Amino acid sequence: MPYIPNTDDDRRAMLEAIGAESIDELFEMVPREFRLDRLLDLPAALGELELQDHIRQLADRNTAASAATCFLGGGSYDHFIPSIVDFVAARSEFYTSYTPYQAEASQGTLTALFEYQTMITRLTGMDVSNASLYDGAGAAAEAVLMAIGATGRSKRVVTAASVHPEYRQVLATYLANLDTQMHIVGTPGGALAPEELDAAVDEQTACVLVQHPNFFGCLEEVEALAAAAHAKGALLIVAFDPLSLGVLKRPGDYGADIAVAEGQALGCPLSYGGPYLGILACREKFVRRMPGRLAGQTVDRRGRRCWVLTLQTREQHIRREKATSNICTNQGLMALRATVYLAAMGPHGLRSAAELCLKKARYAADRWTAGGLLEAAFPAPTFKEFVLRAPRGSVDELLDAAAGERIMAGSPLECWYPELADCVLVAVTEKRTKAEIDRMAELIRSVLG
Amino acid sequence: MRNEQAADLLFAQSRPGCRAVRMPECDVPAEAVESLLPRSALADRPPDLPELTEPDVVRHFVNLSTQNMSVDGNFYPLGSCTMKYNPKRNEALASLEGLAGLHPYQRSETIQGMLALLHSLQEMLGEIAGLDAVSLQPAAGAHGEMTALFVAAAFLRDTGQNRDVVLIPDGAHGTNPASAAMAGFRTLEVKSTAAGLVDLGDLAAKLDERTAVFMITNPNTLGLFDRQIGEIAEMVHASGGLVYLDGANMNAILGIARPGDFGADMMHFNPHKTFSGPHGGGGPGAGPIAVAGKLAPYLPAPLVAKRGDHYTLDFDRPKSIGRVRSFFGNTGVLVRTYCYLRTHGPEGLRRVAENAVLNANYLLSRVKDCLPVPHGDRCMHEFVASAQKLKAERGVTAMDVAKRLLDYGFHAPTVYFPLIVREALMIEPTETEGKATLDSFAEALQRIVAEDAGLLHDAPHTTAVCRPDEVRAARQSILKWTAPSM
Repeated sequence: MPYIPNTDDDRRAMLEAIGAESIDELFEMVPREFRLDRLLDLPAALGELELQDHIRQLADRNTAASAATCFLGGGSYDHFIPSIVDFVAARSEFYTSYTPYQAEASQGTLTALFEYQTMITRLTGMDVSNASLYDGAGAAAEAVLMAIGATGRSKRVVTAASVHPEYRQVLATYLANLDTQMHIVGTPGGALAPEELDAAVDEQTACVLVQHPNFFGCLEEVEALAAAAHAKGALLIVAFDPLSLGVLKRPGDYGADIAVAEGQALGCPLSYGGPYLGILACREKFVRRMPGRLAGQTVDRRGRRCWVLTLQTREQHIRREKATSNICTNQGLMALRATVYLAAMGPHGLRSAAELCLKKARYAADRWTAGGLLEAAFPAPTFKEFVLRAPRGSVDELLDAAAGERIMAGSPLECWYPELADCVLVAVTEKRTKAEIDRMAELIRSVLG
Repeated sequence: MRNEQAADLLFAQSRPGCRAVRMPECDVPAEAVESLLPRSALADRPPDLPELTEPDVVRHFVNLSTQNMSVDGNFYPLGSCTMKYNPKRNEALASLEGLAGLHPYQRSETIQGMLALLHSLQEMLGEIAGLDAVSLQPAAGAHGEMTALFVAAAFLRDTGQNRDVVLIPDGAHGTNPASAAMAGFRTLEVKSTAAGLVDLGDLAAKLDERTAVFMITNPNTLGLFDRQIGEIAEMVHASGGLVYLDGANMNAILGIARPGDFGADMMHFNPHKTFSGPHGGGGPGAGPIAVAGKLAPYLPAPLVAKRGDHYTLDFDRPKSIGRVRSFFGNTGVLVRTYCYLRTHGPEGLRRVAENAVLNANYLLSRVKDCLPVPHGDRCMHEFVASAQKLKAERGVTAMDVAKRLLDYGFHAPTVYFPLIVREALMIEPTETEGKATLDSFAEALQRIVAEDAGLLHDAPHTTAVCRPDEVRAARQSILKWTAPSM
């Protein structure tokens, strides 16, 4: 066996030391009636050579985004990843260690998490960040639970149709067994109207969850939304795009109480949806309600600066059913990737990447709607994503034709928004080129023209 | 060897003008940012991040990495965490562009290989569990627990049963009660017997028409397989409840016994433990769940379905609890799981369990004379030793022993868990360690218990830091770096 070092001789010697006749005897605690009297019905073992062949064959049956032109978005994006991100994350000392319970044996991980927390607070303008959660959707749901606890209002939360549908689905699942009603404000114009939010929020509302830029790529009027939430004593939770903070105002600067994000854009590969990175940052006064790990600075016995997991009395292994959450791990390696990514990009790299996204997306939107064959579905300003409306019934034709040209042209919205059946969500990142955008423009003309 | 170059945080190393990345010039005609977006939405300056060069960043993180112990570098017998070797082939294969480079919203015809892999994984995990249906969506073990409890709640609601209590043994992981609370259940603790098994009398007294679920970890956190499991499952089922198996300790019974066969209605797997992870410094993991047929309609959507030769995502699940995570799940972790299962096959998986149990029993036999193991001379994949006697006689605690082990180059066992053993040291060697390593660990322990108490109180002596002040960390609550004031 490739990963079992003991030889038959070792096993014999070990059994003798134990005082057992056989390995089977060691399983004496498992009642005979429950012992499997056959082998598991699984495919036979493969050596590494065969495994490589097999997995490569499976991989070859897929088309990687990099083997096509990817305009897909919706919370997962084909962004640039500096080589050093993979290099650092591939260090055994990081990826084969575990949650840093033993601080003396884990200062590397703890320091990196502390730097991650610092990066996220600076990026968002929030006071504190935890050491990461599973994904953006989970972070949003956890933030809502925090808000319910912090406000003592458990009856009602308000969100918007312009929030990622999967985030809303996850939130609905989390709330299904609690006595909390989730109210969704419609966004027929592509963004949330502050007066409609104002009408939806009442004195029983724990929080308002919005996304900015939203699922359609549109900017929300976040300052007005914050005012509407705060006027009724509700907290504002904003799901942001970390890349957008290269150009956009920070959640902490426009009144967010809790800021959450899908952190995939910060150096995590597409990886068919995961593992990704849930970012959660909040104002100081909510820190003891935060879910998940936190790295904190302290000193050791000799006064040396060092880091430990801290405020653990919030957590399940101490508080059990009274914990702030059941979360036990974070996404440590993805948080490390984000830290290396942000360190490599720096203020100017992140700003450039964001500007490129914005400018290329705007160019693409202009180019693709220029002939009048497609139109922008919503008037609000957009960052790197936007929604295009195609002539009735032509979405599939357009996407099929694009697929034939190895262009992943966008996501049809009908499965989430029946009223947007003729609409496609498109993302343009800094990796897309003018030539790719122009080629798509040609294709639109040839298919719909 | 202490490298002081690594001592400064990235922020303190920042120097204006340093760059690690140069982004390309914009190749499309574009107006200035200020004319593309409303001024009120724009930041007035670039993000507040450090300015560094690439060598700065690499040296910083490489030096940080050297301050970690890791499975690749050290024996890491962290009980309950199954810190086994992480195969390099799995890392390499999961990174193939044809797997790691797939966008979650790609059309199904462009991801047939991935869906085939995930479909096969669903089937393999169902077979290992002895249960009918599998969801790969949960992102971690605790997330899997919560998802399964959501499934149980939906099933109970749908079948008109008003049951709101989850029973949990006192030795359980803290995630169990926390997950139950998140699913809206009340929790009641069930006592353990002196032998470390479920107290059937206490269980019987607490089972009633309010019982929704009994959560059991079997083998349990003492490393014992509760031989009463058949009776327990019968009792829970007779009262109308469901049995949940916390699969944290599946490494002990792979191919030996199947939870579905011993009465579990639902369970989660911890692929980062049982199927060789890696653990990533605290994630990412994954938490697939397997359930009995009657619970299958409530699983999260989507599942991977096979229609003829074509694989699809099946969203058409009207009774589903919905989603617990965006996109498909922690797919990269699941690809590694698939590689692990295909490497081992049925005989190999059984051998994993056999050797994990052999290693644990051997280590127990070598440790028990210097550190008593209160729950017997035999165990499954792990055992819990106690430093209680050492503490009473010489004032040396479990923590002292754990910290001193670091000086000997071993990661510490899990300490002070489970809560039902005083001065607990929970030791799980896993099958990927050899006899020689176990011998040297046992010898280190034997030496340590004889060492001067003062030396142990001050351990570790060889690491860069020693006994961080956790009380101060909590009181000061310094959770981010701030520039020193001038």
